[in-house]
Amino acid sequence: MASETDFQPELRLHPLSWLFALATFIRQFIVPVIAFMIFGARNDAELWGALILVPLLVGALWQQWLYRYGFGPRGLVIKEGLFFRNLRQIEYPRIENIDVKRGLLHRLLGVAEVSIATSTGGKAEATIRVLSLEATQELRDQVFNRGRPAPTHAAPAAQDEVLLQLPPAELIRYGLIDNRGMIVVAALFGFLYQAGTFEISRQSAAVWFEQSQLSHLAALGIAMQAGLALAGLVTFVLTLRLLSVGFALVTLFDFTLTRHGQDLRVRHGLLTRLALTLRIPRIQSVHQTQSLLHRLFGRVSLRVDLAGDSSSSQDGKQQSQVRTRWLAPICTPMQAKALMAVALPDVDFAGEPNWQPLAPHARQRLFRQSVYFATFVAAAITLALHLLPEAPFEPDARWIVAFLAVMLVLGWWRADLYVKHTRWALTPDAVLFRYGWLTRRLIVTPRNRLQSVQLTASPFDRRHRMANVSVDTAGGSAMSDRIAIRFLPRRIARALALRLYHSHIDRAGR
Amino acid sequence: MQTSTTDPAIISVWRWQWLIALFIVFLVATATLLPRSGSLWASALIVLGLSGVLLVWLWPPTYYRHLRYGVDATGIVIERGVLWRSHIALPRARIQHTDVSQGPLQRRYGVGTLKLYTAGSRHTMIELPGLAHPDAIALRDALLAESTTSGV
Repeated sequence: MASETDFQPELRLHPLSWLFALATFIRQFIVPVIAFMIFGARNDAELWGALILVPLLVGALWQQWLYRYGFGPRGLVIKEGLFFRNLRQIEYPRIENIDVKRGLLHRLLGVAEVSIATSTGGKAEATIRVLSLEATQELRDQVFNRGRPAPTHAAPAAQDEVLLQLPPAELIRYGLIDNRGMIVVAALFGFLYQAGTFEISRQSAAVWFEQSQLSHLAALGIAMQAGLALAGLVTFVLTLRLLSVGFALVTLFDFTLTRHGQDLRVRHGLLTRLALTLRIPRIQSVHQTQSLLHRLFGRVSLRVDLAGDSSSSQDGKQQSQVRTRWLAPICTPMQAKALMAVALPDVDFAGEPNWQPLAPHARQRLFRQSVYFATFVAAAITLALHLLPEAPFEPDARWIVAFLAVMLVLGWWRADLYVKHTRWALTPDAVLFRYGWLTRRLIVTPRNRLQSVQLTASPFDRRHRMANVSVDTAGGSAMSDRIAIRFLPRRIARALALRLYHSHIDRAGR
Repeated sequence: MQTSTTDPAIISVWRWQWLIALFIVFLVATATLLPRSGSLWASALIVLGLSGVLLVWLWPPTYYRHLRYGVDATGIVIERGVLWRSHIALPRARIQHTDVSQGPLQRRYGVGTLKLYTAGSRHTMIELPGLAHPDAIALRDALLAESTTSGV
């Protein structure tokens, strides 16, 4: 911010911005406020509510009055602050994503919330709340045109090319596969708990149980009871899936992926419309996921890691804020292949890569890990049940043997499937890794995106002459998966790490 | 690639550091356990303290032997770890910025730690401890000399 101190931003927010500032604040306190209003014993609750709102309203209006933004010669300039003034300049070339979010209220009033992110990681650099649609378009055009000089801008390829559009049928499939219904249930539970509903329902349930035919239920016999329990479970699972389908239909409604020059644009949402920009040069790797249910429907999910989305920033609080960057929440494997080629233009996807297996003893080692794990769990359960005074039953030797047998069969099955489906490949321009036993994943990272390469070996690895190779890229959070190949033969691991490290030579020699 | 060890003076730095840490732990343990009396506790403390000192004496040279680095046209490779071994390879084009830092003990023995920062998400900082301070500066300059690309 050394230069252009004389540039003064002049553009203002939309006149109704205070409404949204107030709304965000209220949303954070909605549950206590409602609880206060409904369950509050005082009958002057409304007065108190108004007393809280007035200073908030004044604050929001004041903030809107002082907020200015403008397109400086080098960057976007934002001036804000009630007491502590802040002048922020974000240089155009550094701006990675401009995400536009429009809730129901936004859409009624024809405005949008815009967040601007750079590659710093974590939280958005600036959130402009709110702008009219014309101002949003203006902002997007100004930033992206100034950020990139002539060639891409002047090119006639600025037409939007639709790459993927998800009809409701696909969204229903996605809802069935994905288990977001759980989130809705969890949110509902949290809300009810906070609102104090449980206390009431527990009392009413107690009354209901007393009066109703619980004695009949007890007389039904074990088969009927088990049947009822099963029916209850099935109903629960079905409800969850239905909720999940509903959730998918609402949040991902009209999912459209388009290409606009060097940008991929994603738009989706029924109530809240989201418009996200993924800049192709910033894509670090592509992840394809295929769970059991995906395979049942013949579909896969595809997402990307963007530079700047990694939450390696020191505060670490913003990790949950990083949203999944979908390329396609659901698509056919053929579509996935085409999309991958678009997202990673540097990688040649023409031929099938030369897939390589793990070390020959990997299966035994995985199985042995399962054996240790099963033994430990069996011992822990047995001990716990014997120590607990009111344990439902005390496992004897037969039980332990049966448990171990089941676990070991599962363990062998897992090891076998994992080793059979885990492969890696090195092409002149990319490193590919697919792994997993039930849920199968594929990660593709272009070799010009590698930050560092690590070769590790634990004492156990060394005993079996094995080693692990992992790569680091600028995208993805520290928690998400990356290419980390375990159980490689030591010599091959060394060679692979060396080739990856010297990637620029391979790429140049092509 | 030719790899080399760092400055052996770092062994003394590590010994001092571990000794100070051990001393603090020992003090805390003594303060909490001794009032309960019993010669059993006292002798246990002495045995633990002595074995700690032995470990502090023997571990740094072992760790030192396994800490190696090598520089070539592509970048730098750092090897470390006695039981869990790790080689980390970093192309010089990926180095965002560097630090050469020195604590008070390190200044006393004339060594420094070279810190290399990348734009990665896991290994954002890669450390090479124990270089003689002038060597650390020289290595930093050599690594930065040719890196001109953007690094992402």
